[in-house]
Amino acid sequence: MNRMLLGKPQDLWGRIRRSIDWVVVTIAFALISLAVINLNSAGTVAWSESVMIHVGWLCVGTIAMFAVSAVDYRVLYRTSYVAYGAGVALLGAVAVWAYTAKGAGRWLVIGSQRFQPSELMKVLLIVALARYIHDLPRREGNRVRYLFGALGMVLVPAIFVIRQPDLGTGIFLILIATSMLAVTELRLRSILVLGSAGVLSLALMWRYGMLEYQRNRIDVWLTPELYADDDGYQTIQAMISVGNGGFFGRGVDAGTQNVLRFLPERFTDFPFAVYAEEWGFVGCSMVLALFISLVLWSINLASQARDRFSALLCIGVAALFFWHVVINVGMVLQVFPVVGITLPFFSRGGTNLLSMMIALGILMSVSRSRQYR
Amino acid sequence: MISLGAPEDLRDLRPRFHAMVGLVLLAFIGLVGRLCQLQILEGEHYARRAERNFIDAVPVEAPRGRIFDASGEPLATNRPAYSLYITAWVRDVAPVVPGVAVVRGDRKAMPDDAVRQLAAQLEFVDENDRKKFVGAVNVLRADEEKGHYATAVRGNLTWEEYARIQTRLDSLGNWVEIRESSRRHYPQADITGFVTGYMGNVRPETLKRGGHAGYRTGDRVGRTGIERQWENYLRGRLGARSRVVDVRGQEVPTPPNEALAVLPPDRDPIPGQDIHLTLDLELQRAAYDAFEGVLAGAVVAIDVETGAILAMVSIPAIDPNLYEHPIPRTLWDEWTASPLKPFIDKTVQEHFFPGSTYKVVSALTALQDPEFDPSREVECTGAVKYGGRRFRDTHAHGFMNLERAIVESCNVYFYTLAMEETLTLEDMAGVARSLGLGERTGLGLNGEVRGRIPTEAFEARTGTYQRGVQLNNAIGQGNVKVTVLQLAVLYATLANGGELLTPYIVERVTTNDGRLVFSSQPQAKIAPEITASDLERVHRGLLGVVNDESGTAYSERPRGLVVVGKTGTAQVGRDQQREAAEVEGWDSSKDHAWFAAYGPADAPQVAVVALVEHGGAGADAAAPIVMKVLQHRLGGTSESEAPVRAPGVPPPLPGRDEGREGEGGR
Repeated sequence: MNRMLLGKPQDLWGRIRRSIDWVVVTIAFALISLAVINLNSAGTVAWSESVMIHVGWLCVGTIAMFAVSAVDYRVLYRTSYVAYGAGVALLGAVAVWAYTAKGAGRWLVIGSQRFQPSELMKVLLIVALARYIHDLPRREGNRVRYLFGALGMVLVPAIFVIRQPDLGTGIFLILIATSMLAVTELRLRSILVLGSAGVLSLALMWRYGMLEYQRNRIDVWLTPELYADDDGYQTIQAMISVGNGGFFGRGVDAGTQNVLRFLPERFTDFPFAVYAEEWGFVGCSMVLALFISLVLWSINLASQARDRFSALLCIGVAALFFWHVVINVGMVLQVFPVVGITLPFFSRGGTNLLSMMIALGILMSVSRSRQYR
Repeated sequence: MISLGAPEDLRDLRPRFHAMVGLVLLAFIGLVGRLCQLQILEGEHYARRAERNFIDAVPVEAPRGRIFDASGEPLATNRPAYSLYITAWVRDVAPVVPGVAVVRGDRKAMPDDAVRQLAAQLEFVDENDRKKFVGAVNVLRADEEKGHYATAVRGNLTWEEYARIQTRLDSLGNWVEIRESSRRHYPQADITGFVTGYMGNVRPETLKRGGHAGYRTGDRVGRTGIERQWENYLRGRLGARSRVVDVRGQEVPTPPNEALAVLPPDRDPIPGQDIHLTLDLELQRAAYDAFEGVLAGAVVAIDVETGAILAMVSIPAIDPNLYEHPIPRTLWDEWTASPLKPFIDKTVQEHFFPGSTYKVVSALTALQDPEFDPSREVECTGAVKYGGRRFRDTHAHGFMNLERAIVESCNVYFYTLAMEETLTLEDMAGVARSLGLGERTGLGLNGEVRGRIPTEAFEARTGTYQRGVQLNNAIGQGNVKVTVLQLAVLYATLANGGELLTPYIVERVTTNDGRLVFSSQPQAKIAPEITASDLERVHRGLLGVVNDESGTAYSERPRGLVVVGKTGTAQVGRDQQREAAEVEGWDSSKDHAWFAAYGPADAPQVAVVALVEHGGAGADAAAPIVMKVLQHRLGGTSESEAPVRAPGVPPPLPGRDEGREGEGGR
């Protein structure tokens, strides 16, 4: 009788089932399914070698995600600085033995695979910064002093990355850090000061610090039609692809911009353009809705977190996805200039995928021990 | 360090979370708004631009009009062929590692390597041919504007070239394309070489001139003959075929259905119009064969009633099919250096001394002088002296009247008339011009020359006047120059009773499906003022040339056919002699041989004039050719034993009923 009322004692499977955050898993695998369909469509043949490599990384990433989710986030707390140090060391290694491709050294080659430590660094920075902010003494006077520590933690990897040169990812690291600081430490006034300082430094960089190709890229972004036959080709073709999709899209594997190869970088920076052409406004809204759900769910988890560290982890992951999606999609839609920021799951690139899955794992780990389940 | 063991109070962070949610929502609404703008509001615009990317209209060549002879035998047709097209500037979207650099969409010029690799697949006839090909490619590589479009750089590929390139298309790169086209085929080759003319690539100067809109680099145009003169009829109009191309500009074998659905409809080419000539191919062939063993010469056969050209042969002729392939430099040089001038259509493009064939003009001029008595006899002693010079004849002919002088081709008789001021340069020129000499006949083929009929003023102007020039003029030497065609028209005028016709060679022009576009009508020019009796006298003289035992061409008279004609043996002036005659059997000091004739004598149908350059005596070299042509056309059988008329019986007169009645009454 009692057993009927209380239900059966939880078996192992039941416990595993209940400890998994199914919201995250559902959203992630919905996105992954669409992404794999899209990658197949962007390729010449379905299930080509490169798609299979992507799927392989997906499996590795899935295992990593569940493995990380099984780890108590307090373990992450303890290992965070070590991991961060290892990440910076990897970046240093890249700087020394960079595999150079197209003038930028970002990869480490291990076996037949290439790793991009700057991608992994995004997650490591989130964890380390969460611990740093968590550890800060609260309700005390001079807090700007502590901010310098955070600044240092961001700038060391960011400078490594920018010197690769990969300005996009460098700024991306700063964006994540700023987002995390904005939620906890910074006052509104400081945020405004920091924001204007950021704009000012960008302006100064534009004037003095930028490489020619980077400055040119901004020019092309603002007036792509003037460069339609050379530098602006990519931007214009991406916009044509998106516009060609219309409301319902051209259908999978039927977008002319994609199939006839007018759209460049279909696997890396512009998979969203392929997707937009073939799935149309309806499909795009669906993917954006999935991403927004993920980001909002992360913020929700943050607000339910047991402590500052786990809340910051969730905010970091939310920022990671948010900026990835906004910048990549914005770039395809000509809202931002072309920078090498990928779209999570949709872009090919193993380290990136792995980092994203680990980030989701962290989310699930926090989710397991949040306050109001 | 704060322990992670106990829950913390994070409520103070709530407003920040809410603000964050707001920001996130705002950002996503912004993106969705932009999506809405691009995909829904401006979707049509971008769809059109996507179409512009992949729709490519390829010109479809119109089949060129064919050329037929009078009986419908083809003289120029088309055969399928393959042309090599090059797009020198192709968009090269190189695969780039993610996000490192923007993918540029520049078009890149075909690299040297690719040109070399392509050239290795072609069979060049010589180094010059290779240079020309590479030069043509380089022009495209140098001009980005032009290089965007596929341009034909080599037509009429051989099977080996076609197969080699087709199998290597992938490795040769996106610059190369082979398209189906056609080449010209001339079944009769050099027999009708000068009539049909040949084709060549359109010249850059022609392309630059605005008036020739519609020609593209690498197009073929008619260079000579009918091909050139009737180019606008033969040409047809380009069609267009739409196709789906990918970013490399290559046609996609299986394009998406949506792409196919928006392709604009194909436009069919309008085929060129067919030209039907008056030429009688059998006669043309017979005329060509009659030149067997002759190095250089020409013959024209003309219908005396209409002026239609029945045969028109110039020897030597170049097979126009050769121009469909690259011509080796050595062969070209050989043609250029040849003293036989194979490029010159000797029926219209070069003028010669008419020699004794011109005596009909002298006779007609004399007959117009009211004081001239044609029956007066002049004694020929073989030469006359005038102004301190001796004017020779072949031999002493004895006593000559006008008719005998024509029959035996006596020079002294005409010298005497010239000395007596019966034949002045002015009077001669008047009659010659009224008979169509000194002017283009108006055939409109191969850039006719005018010929030359001298007057006192002309002689004074050119400084060639000397005493006695009218003597030479009277026998068709001096400064008189005529073309073979002019002489044929002149003899046709004598044959048809004094009607000067404009010769024509295009009978009619029809569209590809047989509708009539143009048809020629016989056209008479202002009739020369020649009385019937004068004409009859000259005719009688010409009749004697072939049919009188003492006639200069009596030995050549055909069996079963009575023809009328005049021999001519034109001395070649020293300045006429061409340099370094290295061709065997070519003696440039020998006289030009002429024979002009028409027949049959009682009702002339055809006039034929033949010239054999440096052939010697007219009766020996030129007359047999004319006779063969006349026999072929008029059916006079050489087998038939039937009559050569008994000597002494006056032969019938041309085209006149009373003449025939007279004969019948006898």
